[in-house]
Amino acid sequence: MPTLRTEAVSKEFGGVQALKGVTISLPAGSTLGLIGPNGSGKTTLLNIIAGLEKPTSGAVMLGETRIDHLPANAIVKLGVAKTHQIPRPFAEMTTRENVSVAVMYGRRRIKDTKRSLNEADRLLSLLGMDARRDLPASSLTVQEKKRLELARALATGADVILLDEVFAGLSSDELRDSIQLFRKIRGEVGFSALIVEHVMGAVLTLAERVVVLEEGAKIAEGTPDEVVHNEAVIRAYLGFEENDSPG
Amino acid sequence: MVALAVILSDLLFGIMLGCVFAVVAHGLNLIWGVVKVVNIAHGEFIMLGAYGAYFLNVFGGFNPLLSAVVDGALGIFVGYAFYFSFLHRELRGKERITLRSEMVTLVSTFGLSLFMSNLAVVAFTGDFVGINWSPGTVALGFLELPLGALYVTILAVLIISTSVVFLDRTYIGNAIKAYSQDITATQLVGANPTKVASLATALGFSITMAGGALLTVWIPTGINPYMGALYAPISFVIVVLGGPGKMLGSLLGGLTLGVVIDVLQAFVPVSLAYAVAFLLLIPVLLFRPEGIVK
Amino acid sequence: MRIAGLGVTFFGLLALMLLLLILPFAFPFSTSVIVINLLFYTALAYSINFITGMTGYVSFGHVVFLGIGAYALGASADVYGLDPVLGVLLGAALGLVFALMIGLVTLRFRGVYFAISTVVIALAALNIVLELPQLGGSQGIILNLGFQPYSWYYTIWGIVLFEMLITYYINRGKLGLGIRAIKSDEDAARSVGVNVSALKLYLFGLSGLFAGAGGAVFAWTTSGVFPYETFSLNFSLQMLAMIIIGGVGTALGPILGAVVVYLPSYYFLTVAIGTQLIIIGFAVVVIALFIPEGIVGTLKRRSASLRELLE
Repeated sequence: MPTLRTEAVSKEFGGVQALKGVTISLPAGSTLGLIGPNGSGKTTLLNIIAGLEKPTSGAVMLGETRIDHLPANAIVKLGVAKTHQIPRPFAEMTTRENVSVAVMYGRRRIKDTKRSLNEADRLLSLLGMDARRDLPASSLTVQEKKRLELARALATGADVILLDEVFAGLSSDELRDSIQLFRKIRGEVGFSALIVEHVMGAVLTLAERVVVLEEGAKIAEGTPDEVVHNEAVIRAYLGFEENDSPG
Repeated sequence: MVALAVILSDLLFGIMLGCVFAVVAHGLNLIWGVVKVVNIAHGEFIMLGAYGAYFLNVFGGFNPLLSAVVDGALGIFVGYAFYFSFLHRELRGKERITLRSEMVTLVSTFGLSLFMSNLAVVAFTGDFVGINWSPGTVALGFLELPLGALYVTILAVLIISTSVVFLDRTYIGNAIKAYSQDITATQLVGANPTKVASLATALGFSITMAGGALLTVWIPTGINPYMGALYAPISFVIVVLGGPGKMLGSLLGGLTLGVVIDVLQAFVPVSLAYAVAFLLLIPVLLFRPEGIVK
Repeated sequence: MRIAGLGVTFFGLLALMLLLLILPFAFPFSTSVIVINLLFYTALAYSINFITGMTGYVSFGHVVFLGIGAYALGASADVYGLDPVLGVLLGAALGLVFALMIGLVTLRFRGVYFAISTVVIALAALNIVLELPQLGGSQGIILNLGFQPYSWYYTIWGIVLFEMLITYYINRGKLGLGIRAIKSDEDAARSVGVNVSALKLYLFGLSGLFAGAGGAVFAWTTSGVFPYETFSLNFSLQMLAMIIIGGVGTALGPILGAVVVYLPSYYFLTVAIGTQLIIIGFAVVVIALFIPEGIVGTLKRRSASLRELLE
């Protein structure tokens, strides 16, 4: 399981500097939180790692391999998978078919249909979605669709998973359940996780280290405890989102 | 001096041809830009406008310029009918058109195109007809310009510039612009999205059918049920060249196409000139998907 | 469950193909001629189904591959006296090569942009062929290959059989699942590792290959290649109409669509071709607006037991 790093990644969109030389490191098996106000560049960084966008300068390294010039599907095959912030299930397919696609085309390249369906079923039951497996994905609730996103990312056989706001928009009960579920999955399947959140709660609970972005630049990095007491972070957050006070 | 005259006349005819193309494509551009739907049957409505001009001439003695006005008025009704039968179901209550809806309209208007062109064969026969109208020529230095073509050129520029002013300066024009950005934004400016989209479609059809009438001045013997199969692709290329939804883009795209075709004709056979003009679409889509001018 | 074994439909179609294999010996010759035409349209329907039916990329200009195949057979038979069966293979090969070249560029465009770029390429191809004296320019090529009904019959039969088997092969396994993911959401498919660009190109290539083979048979049976006829957009439109009416993406849809579109036109020969196209056009409008899954898709959705049967 290799370490994922971004090295001084910058991104410009038509004259606007969305990322300014951001360097982060996600060692094997660890959990890194990436937080910041809206528009701070979190999603852009995630998209660059996943190969959906190309950086203007800088590099993305997976172990010793440079991956920032590769197309998204090739990056998945190297073991890096990303969930979508707004779930994008294959609406016409059943839930287990959705997961099967990822099993077959992901890193493990399982060709056999039966085996891939079995693997899909295993993951769906791990996520508590057995009852949904033969329903069309379009009929799932938003929360279930988010779980399906996670199931598909796991199904690719990735050992680095990029989670784009999977904990957003949940009630406090749902959030507690989701955090528990995440811990349980981590216990059974080993992977490193980069958790991007706009709400800090889940990140501070789950992450070992946290990186804070503001206006495309890294303004702080440390343990959750260090970060919430960092003055720059408090200022950035109070300046933007009064409701999302840390903790 | 003679060579210069030839080049100049090629260029001038290219510009006039481009203006006719532009007005024919303009209705498509409006609909494409605002409701984000490409009407594959666009060419058939040009054909309808051309036959309108033909019958108005045969039975009422109208000249094509006058017929363009009648066609334009009829086009409003046709456009509303089209909106409510083909587009409304796909756009109603949506924030933006989905890829799926885009495909539905693509296929349904393709069926409409097949239906209309073949119905036209039954209704009008497959024969080529033309309108006998020529207002003479005007001498411009050493060039003799056909007056009819000149009128059409002026009208084309007038129609396109009026639509720019209309969209920029009127309340309803602004609502149409808002719709083209974001359907929900229409409500923010206090307008009903359905009213706005259907009006934009109706205006698009009005311009398309008027364009069909104006076209008859330039192709005096070429009105036939299958003419849409040529003018629709020409319109697609023009709109892509100019950038969908950019009103002046019709003019830019039309002129580019007209001049390319007319100038190339001096060197290669006419069908190759058209082939090159059609294929311009590909590099533009690859390298300048927003149109040739930003 | 879509990823299932081969069902009744597969064996039904196989039985039908076997029946057609012996048909020329069992029935009067006029029947075989009808079937040759029917199989020709079926071949075209399966061909466009590979790209438009399976991925949702609407190829309005698909006739370009038919035209290329027709000219491949026409020119090779006319100039080099090549055997027509080899001409069909050449047509298929050129259809494949051109589809790969055209697809490499146009498959980057989504939705309407792909659709209109194919129309424009087909029109440009016609205009280019008109100016190629080597291919007979606007006169085309008149062939003198004679009346070879058995060869026609078994060639087109073979093409359709191949198409059916490949369609089943794709729909059943990993390929089919990936392709359905692409049709549903291309970006999401990429994000779970589906090599979207390669798969699309593969299907477009297949589609060009079979349209090219079909076009070559067309030139062979009509003993000539005429530019306005072989590059007529009406072919594209009929191909699309067949799969839209029959049901896109399925294995049964194309042959059903071909029967529905072609057979009436044979039985109502006295009615002008235009009238048939009016009806087909109308049918396409109604189906696109109200039953977008076509005949087969709708039946499958309506009834679970039919769904098993129609796989």
